[in-house]
Amino acid sequence: MRVATALLLFALWLALSATLSPGHLVLGALLSGLIAWVNPVMKPQRRLSLLAALAYQPWLLGRILKSGLHVSRLILTPSLPIAPRLVRQRTGLSSDGELVALGNSITLTPGTVSIDVCPGEVLVHVIDEASADDLVSGRLERRIRGVFNTPEGPR
Amino acid sequence: MNWLTVALIVLGLFFLVVGSIGMLRLPDVFTRSHALSLTDSLGGLFVLGGLAVHHGFSASFFKILLVLGLVYLLNPVVAHATIRAAYRAGLRPGKGEQDDL
Repeated sequence: MRVATALLLFALWLALSATLSPGHLVLGALLSGLIAWVNPVMKPQRRLSLLAALAYQPWLLGRILKSGLHVSRLILTPSLPIAPRLVRQRTGLSSDGELVALGNSITLTPGTVSIDVCPGEVLVHVIDEASADDLVSGRLERRIRGVFNTPEGPR
Repeated sequence: MNWLTVALIVLGLFFLVVGSIGMLRLPDVFTRSHALSLTDSLGGLFVLGGLAVHHGFSASFFKILLVLGLVYLLNPVVAHATIRAAYRAGLRPGKGEQDDL
């Protein structure tokens, strides 16, 4: 796994650096190896549905755009009508991949940011009640279940 | 520069500006992180999208897509790490935290 990670990082390095000078290659190889070595190995996600994962991206982008406009309106309103609070949300998601997808999606979406993510529960800061909707209604979790083919129901 | 490039970049700049205003107006580190996700998720998306359209199908186009993908994978991780650190350091939302800057 670590070797695969290092190779992937090195490929990325080659694609972005666009030069084949020896110095660049050595630096890229060293960095790829170091990063793959110091980071924990994530278990491969065997039940990942590629189709659902592809369909998830435009859906998330749509939600990000919608929340972005909502948060923009909050910020630009002179009275600053925010109602920030913490939301402790139970979740049936527990594998590494699912939690990364959940935590990243929450943080990417304006109006919600994940403070702590652990199997079975996430702690999220929301800027107002409307922003919490996708999370509290379980819509986001259902989507991620679809991507990872996770069976329904609490763990 | 065609009109689509200009439109996308202007849209991106709108979110970057609103995000910056939010950074100034919002009261604490937690609410300010929401302004950050505005600039990261939408400002970055539209500015990079505009640049990608400007370059057309070329090596630069795919590089920009790659950067966009990395932004979407890495920025939330950094934002999350910052906010979690603030939370663990004892900061809590809605307490009117002192701003020394």
